[in-house]
Amino acid sequence: MRFDRRKLALMGILILSSVAGAQRSHRQILVYKKKFIMGTVFEIAAYGRSSNQTALAIDRAFQKIIDMDDLMSNYKPESPLSRLNRTAHFHSEKVPPDLYRVIQETINFSRMSDGKFDITVAPLVNLWKAALSGDSIPSESAQQQAQACVGYDKIELTPPHQITFHSSCLELDLGAIGKGYAVDRAAEVLRSFGIRNAFINAGGSTILAIGSPPGQTGWLVHLRDPSRKIDPTVTLTNQSLSTSEQSQPSILGHDSPGHIIDPSTGKPLETDFAVNVVAPTGTISDGLSTTLLLLGPTAGKHFVNRTKGISAAWISSTTQVETAINGPQILFSPDH
Amino acid sequence: MDHKFFSALTTRLMLPKRTRHAKTALFSALLFLSTLGWADVFIRWGQSPLPSANSLGMSKVVFLWNSTTPLQMLTRARKQGYSVYLEAPLQEAAAASQVATSAGCAGIILRFSEDERTKAQTLIDGLRTVHPRLTFLMLGFTGKRPQMKGSLIVKRHSILEVSSPTMQPWIETNIAAIKVAQRAQPGSVPLYTFAWAGPEDAPPTLTASDYSLAIAEASALHADLLLPLDDGLQKTLGQNDAAAWALWSEVRSMAKFGSLETEGGLQPAANVAAVFDDLDPHDEALNLLGRHNIPFQVFLDGDLKANALEDFDLVVVFAKPNQAAAELLAGLASRGKTVVLVDAHGTYPWQKHESIQLNEHTLSYAEGGGKILELSEPVSDPEIFAQDIRRLLGKRDSLLTLWNGLTTVAVPYNDRNRALRQIELVNYAIDPIRVQLQVKGSFTSIRYETPEHGCCQSLAPIKHDAFTEFVIPQLQIGGRIHLD
Repeated sequence: MRFDRRKLALMGILILSSVAGAQRSHRQILVYKKKFIMGTVFEIAAYGRSSNQTALAIDRAFQKIIDMDDLMSNYKPESPLSRLNRTAHFHSEKVPPDLYRVIQETINFSRMSDGKFDITVAPLVNLWKAALSGDSIPSESAQQQAQACVGYDKIELTPPHQITFHSSCLELDLGAIGKGYAVDRAAEVLRSFGIRNAFINAGGSTILAIGSPPGQTGWLVHLRDPSRKIDPTVTLTNQSLSTSEQSQPSILGHDSPGHIIDPSTGKPLETDFAVNVVAPTGTISDGLSTTLLLLGPTAGKHFVNRTKGISAAWISSTTQVETAINGPQILFSPDH
Repeated sequence: MDHKFFSALTTRLMLPKRTRHAKTALFSALLFLSTLGWADVFIRWGQSPLPSANSLGMSKVVFLWNSTTPLQMLTRARKQGYSVYLEAPLQEAAAASQVATSAGCAGIILRFSEDERTKAQTLIDGLRTVHPRLTFLMLGFTGKRPQMKGSLIVKRHSILEVSSPTMQPWIETNIAAIKVAQRAQPGSVPLYTFAWAGPEDAPPTLTASDYSLAIAEASALHADLLLPLDDGLQKTLGQNDAAAWALWSEVRSMAKFGSLETEGGLQPAANVAAVFDDLDPHDEALNLLGRHNIPFQVFLDGDLKANALEDFDLVVVFAKPNQAAAELLAGLASRGKTVVLVDAHGTYPWQKHESIQLNEHTLSYAEGGGKILELSEPVSDPEIFAQDIRRLLGKRDSLLTLWNGLTTVAVPYNDRNRALRQIELVNYAIDPIRVQLQVKGSFTSIRYETPEHGCCQSLAPIKHDAFTEFVIPQLQIGGRIHLD
């Protein structure tokens, strides 16, 4: 899967648990593990009564993420997604339930955002990839040709698990949502082991909080702040947070186009904002972070205001801040 | 940093200066050198009963010196088959040397701070005269614990916090510091150590993989490592605990792999030169070049002399060049090289040409077949800077490229004829990965050596233009590629 490296490790995270809290919950043992999956470092910190059992739960959760990567990777030629991309132009393809479900959810995002979020954007992403590496910008005709391949409405879902492409050049890329979905599945595994307080971090771009640290009301998380002056925070309890932003400009070259492509224009998105989104699940926060970055604060606020349980903050390197709060409160340092 | 740092480096090849016992010293040095392999591991041991050198599979043990260090402990270790070293601070070096000589120790590892360089060098010169049979190794370079890093760090009382914002691709490596050390003492093998960073209220739980990764990294970088051993492991090894010995068996295997004598005369390969007026082993721009597998060599501005940089495709100058150096850089560019000047404002010969404003901070000057870029400010984002350097090299001048190698460091080595012969690999993620490599040049034989399977598995080379590609089916922690 082409996971979004630019989104990775962008989010400052600080989780605090007081000494008193730790003492009150002397039966809760913190176990922390990390693993390189989906091109990034996944970390899980979980509290449990037995370190061995908690470690086992974490290992199983990691295995679930590996399974999701095997399912949704478009780097692995034999993954169900790769097979779908090869064959669904010719005939209806039967896919595993998880793949069907995640594609179904992404199409919902596409509908809600009028196509701003679109998992069929791969032909445009591939076209601009060379330019991102320093090659010349693709011609207008090449852009138009690639854009003609894009469109979530060309995907036909037939329950319970059949998918057909109505375009010969359609290609799906779940990089903008796959980590969020995998985090949700990993959380299910932890819960199945009786874990009630845990934290899953998918390389900094999507995190999910289960319960809270012992003695605390939630997990205090510092959000991505490109200005490094605002230090926004949010307290999460059974919620997820995702961050998205466009590639940083080149230091020694012409301004590079950026890796996030706007399907509606066929060109790289031009924005100085990083967006932080809090949502009930990893799938939603991950999908919405890209969606709200593409929508920008004006349209994005309308979107958030009509979607319960969502909070978002757009923050620029020049300390411009736009927020839409319909879920957990996002706090900013007092002097801002 | 700089010259103070030089002193803090240990070198195997450092011979006594101004000694009145030159022959004895030379004999001692040769004797010492004859026992050294590609990369040596010195284990630091505490108070627990020490297993024999044969059972540990290590031949060099280091005890921290203090005035109550029992002489018997040292002689016993020597009888157990070890070359025994005492690690002592500068102030105690004389006393430690006295005891080391009495106990028949192999040498002293001298610890000192950066600002004690001159004093340390003078002291060592004197001690070498008094104790000609001792080898004096200098240790002032404390590296990082090699590891794959996440965003969260478990700290005291269960606090988790974010790490460096330029942490991608998520590994802590000592490659930059070793490159700096290699410039500080050319032709020598640096020695370094590190601390196992863990939660402040609990020691880290170390696995065989943690120790193996540290050894694999030192070996890949052709450096000697003073390996700190967890107290608990020392104790359980001393108690003949089966689990401890099972762990150590894996570590020993990696140490053996790392110490194997390889083809003689290998030198680090690089086609990017990084020029400084001051050496800093913690320079983040160098760190990121290393993490991105851009092979570089470190120079001081005084090295900018005719022909010094002719073999490099790209030169990054983090110093303000004088007139002669600027002319040399212009000459390099005119012969097709790329020169990048970082925050080096001045009047230079290439500025007579028209420039192109690449972005807010960077001007580009065409100079013959090459170009010179002037960045008007320090490197603000080392991650982006490293990506830019990779872009400037382009495919044509990329010595090596990795796919699926975000957690892998590949260190290339040339033979005496400057032909690429060996690539050392370290996987910081520890979990086995499949890595694809593309190396510049045409090779018909690719052999893959690992601690797990020995030497060697033949890999199928695929040639594309001026490059050879191959796939490493499984890299666990350390591996070695032989190219012919």
